[in-house]
Amino acid sequence: MVQRQKLTRRELLKSSAVTAGALVLGGAAVPLAEARGSDTIRVGVVGCGGRGSGAARDCVKSSPGVRIVALADAFGDRLTSLKNEFKVRNNHCFVGLDAYKELMALDDVNLVILGTPPGFRPPQLAEAIRRGKNVFMEKPVAVCPAGIKMVIEASNKATEKGLAIVAGTQRRHEPKYVETMKRIHDGAIGEIVSAQCYWNQGGLWVDRAKTNWDNYKSGKWSDVEWQTRNWLFIKWLSGDHIVEQHVHNIDVINWAFNALPEQVHGLGGRQDRTGPQYGNIFDHFGVEFFYPDDVRTISMCRQIPGTTNRISERVAGTKGVSNCAGSIEGENPWRYEGPNPNPYVVEHADLIKSIRDGSPLNEGQRIAESTLCAIMGRESAYSRQQFNRSWFMSRCTLNLLPPDGLKLSDSKPVDPFAVPGKYQLPGLVQSKRRRG
Amino acid sequence: MTASKKDKSISKRSAATAAGAVALAGAVASKVHARGSDTIKVGLLGCGGRGNGAVRQCLQADPGVEVIAVADLFESRVKSSRDRLMRDNKFKGRVKIDDDHLFWGFDCHEKLARCEADLLCMATAPAFRGRQMMAAVKAGMNIFTEKPVATDVAGCREVMAASKIAEQKGLAIVCGTQRRHEFSRVELMKRIHDGQIGELVGGQCYWYGGGIWYRGYQEGLSELEWQCLNWYHFNWISGDQICEQHIHNIDIMNWCFNGPPKNFTAVGGRAWRSYNDGQVGPAKEVCRKYNNGSDVDWEKYNGDIWDHIFAEFEYANGARCLSFSGHSPGTGRGDEKIVGTKGTSNCNNRISGENAWRYEGRNVNGMQQEHIDLIKSIRSGNPLNEGQRIAESTLTAIGARISAYTGRSFSWNWLLNSSKQDIVPKQEYLRPGRGVFHPTATGRDKLV
Repeated sequence: MVQRQKLTRRELLKSSAVTAGALVLGGAAVPLAEARGSDTIRVGVVGCGGRGSGAARDCVKSSPGVRIVALADAFGDRLTSLKNEFKVRNNHCFVGLDAYKELMALDDVNLVILGTPPGFRPPQLAEAIRRGKNVFMEKPVAVCPAGIKMVIEASNKATEKGLAIVAGTQRRHEPKYVETMKRIHDGAIGEIVSAQCYWNQGGLWVDRAKTNWDNYKSGKWSDVEWQTRNWLFIKWLSGDHIVEQHVHNIDVINWAFNALPEQVHGLGGRQDRTGPQYGNIFDHFGVEFFYPDDVRTISMCRQIPGTTNRISERVAGTKGVSNCAGSIEGENPWRYEGPNPNPYVVEHADLIKSIRDGSPLNEGQRIAESTLCAIMGRESAYSRQQFNRSWFMSRCTLNLLPPDGLKLSDSKPVDPFAVPGKYQLPGLVQSKRRRG
Repeated sequence: MTASKKDKSISKRSAATAAGAVALAGAVASKVHARGSDTIKVGLLGCGGRGNGAVRQCLQADPGVEVIAVADLFESRVKSSRDRLMRDNKFKGRVKIDDDHLFWGFDCHEKLARCEADLLCMATAPAFRGRQMMAAVKAGMNIFTEKPVATDVAGCREVMAASKIAEQKGLAIVCGTQRRHEFSRVELMKRIHDGQIGELVGGQCYWYGGGIWYRGYQEGLSELEWQCLNWYHFNWISGDQICEQHIHNIDIMNWCFNGPPKNFTAVGGRAWRSYNDGQVGPAKEVCRKYNNGSDVDWEKYNGDIWDHIFAEFEYANGARCLSFSGHSPGTGRGDEKIVGTKGTSNCNNRISGENAWRYEGRNVNGMQQEHIDLIKSIRSGNPLNEGQRIAESTLTAIGARISAYTGRSFSWNWLLNSSKQDIVPKQEYLRPGRGVFHPTATGRDKLV
């Protein structure tokens, strides 16, 4: 019985995907004019830090006829290197927290790369779609349920307008993953009954956090400038490391199931990375996700220097086990032996091809959902409460979106890091309790 | 692997019986007269809540049980335990504790081992179990011991060694992981081991609760004695919550797989635990009492245990299981689930899937049944010996804790054979005086 239900769900998913695809195709043919055929893809880069710069280069490398024509960043100093590299005109370079609006107003930009901190993604995506731009956006795409809703809405608008959205969860464009997933979805490992995913690594930005903190403490930087430059450690900007980094692996598990977890229960804390330079995020999470039919999975992530690395995924089914990345063991053993192109380039090639073919990819909803799962894991660990996804999306009132008109010179206090038992998950009515 | 493991333990048991016969003929003859309907003389070691409960369950298990000695770190507890037992009408005439059979102090277990008890009920803090069991089996006593049986790797090895001696001498060791004695679970596990849910591919176990007591300063206790009174809060004495409490559920996972995991990976921390705000007898006050009014170093009196550990056990066949433990106000979750290729089970009384099944037999109280099984096994001359098994389950919990404390992954083989972890002070250093404090683990502690 369990099996039949699952098959039904899978079939449903398959058929709905096909239907949605057909709709996209039908809709896309009408409004999309720019960037068709051999037209030049004229890229505006929003967020010129490490990831934005990397994405810009990968984008250019991915396909012929791609030019970087405009840049925007909160900070002038972050913009210089790309400006020189791609010889971007002065009047196409914009600086400030609102610079993205100016860039997106340019008519000669038809694709934007969003590489700013995740907290800024929802309003920036919305603006890009409003302005009719195709989008490559880094993951994650939001840090709170309010942001997720904004992204889903923008993504739906993109579909209506025939615009493409591809997200930087590059495993989705990596042939060894794609081929493995095809087989998993075809039943090569049977029904999935167990799964695990990990992003356990050492320290990150240890020196940078210290320098940033010194600049902040000495008064050189305002609250908002420090937070934005130190964004990795600030919840409203990065979403914490389970969202910022581990979303990759959670997304793979969602992919394997072709479904989202219904429930979550997490643990976490700030055990080693305790200094004020590390803002208000945790350094470890352990989260249990409950997929349909009560299939329970492990998600584990950690950023602590000197600890054991493990970044991978694994799914176990009734007929076999897979690492999701080119290997299946069990009744239907298989190993991927095809090429391994750089997935950071492939994702751009896929995006641009889809635009030029007139059948734009739209990964907006999907990456919003995977981001949502990571956010649920974080909030469950902060509050130590177990809750449903449906509750979280309909009732949780957490809103970490940056206020309109936020300026770098503004002061904006950093929320204290979450202490379980004290942390109130917005929207959750908690019973009166005493510490025992 | 699982099958051979099982066979091995069966053959071990028959070997033990044979060894027991040899022992009977030998020097320890005086201690193994607890056969048939003979009286079984019981000594209670550890007079806290669990000890007083266990000794009563032991008395109820068999009419031939008599309590003849009581021991604890604290004199007052020894005396009040004896008095309450004497006053209990249910056990009239079966509590025969002379004044010279009351033992207290850090060496009370050594004194107890010199008396004429046939069976010891052990329920002190877990740190001392290894040396207590060693003293008891050397003296030829059968053992009922509470779980867990150690707080460090060295302690687990000592219990394994004591368990071997018990085997050679034909002595019984039963441990307070009572789920192993519940009829429903025993019947269920038979089916799981027979393949009713197919090959095991995953599992989960949980002990997540609201929190525990904290005991403030008490007049007349040295710092180390105060620490022992607050044993739960110190890793070296309790083994942390994952070891002290969650071991029940971890033991079930090991039972499903018929052995301990082969690999450990865990994260965790201490995110909220503090016993200074709104606490009767807060940590700061304890600090001031032991430090001439200064509370500079008060946080160590909060204890050093964590409040959450999230661990993954990888078992011999590659299955990866979750262990989820901790404390947080207003929460509660404590059960297990096992997942196979043909079905799942709640590890208690139900199988869902291809071979759906529900236990419909008699339900027994495991905490009573474990004593009945123990005494039956002694009387029948086929002593149960759960020593090795509970040492393995304890080491499984300790392994997860070490992995979380250090941030490192490692194997069972490394843990059992190469870890040098030894955190309990030797017996000669245990005397009323300064406490033994360790800093709270960082999540990147050195792996030893």
